[in-house]
Amino acid sequence: MNLNVAPTAPQTVGEPNGWGRAVTIAVRCVLILLSIAVVIQALIVVEARPQDLITGVSGMADLIRRAMPPDFSRLPSTFWPTLQTVDIALFGTLVGVVIALPLALLAAANMTPSRYAYYASRAIIGLTRAVPDLVWALLFVTAVGLGPFPGGLALGVHSVGMLGRLFAETIEHMDMAPIHALELTGARRIQVFCHGIVPTILPSLLGISLYRLDENIRSSLVLGFVGAGGIGFQLLTAMNLFQYQEVSLLLIIIFVIVLTAERLSAALRERLA
Amino acid sequence: MLRVCGLSLRYPNGKVALADFGLTVEAGELVVVLGGNGSGKTTLLRCITRTLKPTSGEIWLGNTDLCALAGEKLRRARLELAMVWQHASLVRRSSVLSNVANGALGRHSTLRTVFAGLPAEELEAARRHLADVGLADLAEQRAGTLSGGQAQRVAIARALAQQPRVLLADEPVASLDPQAAEEIMRLLQRLARSERIAVLCVLHQVELAYTYADRVVGIRQGRIAFDLPCAQVSREAVRGLYIGEAA
Repeated sequence: MNLNVAPTAPQTVGEPNGWGRAVTIAVRCVLILLSIAVVIQALIVVEARPQDLITGVSGMADLIRRAMPPDFSRLPSTFWPTLQTVDIALFGTLVGVVIALPLALLAAANMTPSRYAYYASRAIIGLTRAVPDLVWALLFVTAVGLGPFPGGLALGVHSVGMLGRLFAETIEHMDMAPIHALELTGARRIQVFCHGIVPTILPSLLGISLYRLDENIRSSLVLGFVGAGGIGFQLLTAMNLFQYQEVSLLLIIIFVIVLTAERLSAALRERLA
Repeated sequence: MLRVCGLSLRYPNGKVALADFGLTVEAGELVVVLGGNGSGKTTLLRCITRTLKPTSGEIWLGNTDLCALAGEKLRRARLELAMVWQHASLVRRSSVLSNVANGALGRHSTLRTVFAGLPAEELEAARRHLADVGLADLAEQRAGTLSGGQAQRVAIARALAQQPRVLLADEPVASLDPQAAEEIMRLLQRLARSERIAVLCVLHQVELAYTYADRVVGIRQGRIAFDLPCAQVSREAVRGLYIGEAA
């Protein structure tokens, strides 16, 4: 009916008529109910029982009391595992960078020599990221046995996923005008790469690698729990032997390592920018 | 020095960008190409650098026909052909000096430039070229910190490091203020005279063409509209270049 008088009274766009309004409200209600249902099922599945937390808090307090004060006399014995943890991360990051760099060049749309190389390297990068570092560690343990070496390898391969993707994105977003300019001067491809591409992207690549090192130090702690050695393994041993004062000392050390790595990596990245 | 004969380029979609185009630039001469947007000016330069492959025609650089070459031979022949663009296209994170020295890369052996950089005499030469464009004191600065006019002068110094016989310039002053634009044009004119370089420069600023060009070539719809010594170019002829394009 309204439509017949439309020329004199044009309807405002986006203001639905009665039926439309009802449908919109109904859709909204359903969406809200669905969201509530999702949250409730999550609470049921994780068996969330806050009352247990309240009744059990005394146990936690007891544990913390027994962990105090931290046993600083054990400090010298933590030196070697600490070094191991940091070195596993360092080694892993280096391995990751060495593998990720050529992959990233193939996986950058503006550099890749062929579509096949592009898709193959993208697939490898995706695979290394999709498989968690713990699984990689288990795989490498079967090859080289327990110890820090498989841990470092696992971190390296898993790092390829993130490093490769971010490296490739950096290369793709690079300003190509200077590169084309160098090509036109008669420079060879490898010369263009070394004198044009490398100086342009190196700071970003270093920044990304430092960020990854910071993450790898945290992963290296967790890998220690499953046998890669280092401070994670020492923490697990102390827990199993109920040496809670040593546990608290190790937690302090881990806190210091993580914080130092994070600040150091951030400070270095700032200088690179 | 640079001689273009019967140059034609037809894009795969059938559009004719250049039709039977010819021009000559002698050593020591500054030739300005004027024309509206889409008239084929940039296509012409891209054909000369062989970034685009012309459908037919010859491009003689000295005694070499660039159109007959490909691959490594083309790369060697192109060493004598330098180019500057509207934007300086410098490696922003490298120093001004290494940006200039980059122009000489093509003349040196691959291994050495990959691992050890350029030989000392090239850095000396690069400093001289920087002095030529009046920026000797900025050699160690990062290229990313330069102003537009300075960056463009560094781009010209990089072109000089190439020791070219022909210098192509594609709207080299389009993003510069009037004063910097005058400086760049004066520089191009001086280089043409003193270094005996053949300079072919595409411009949008008619006044600059009148002031600095030895000859002016008008281009319209991919064809030559006129090719005259600067003094003989009438205002009407120049206006005609732009009116036709708008219609």
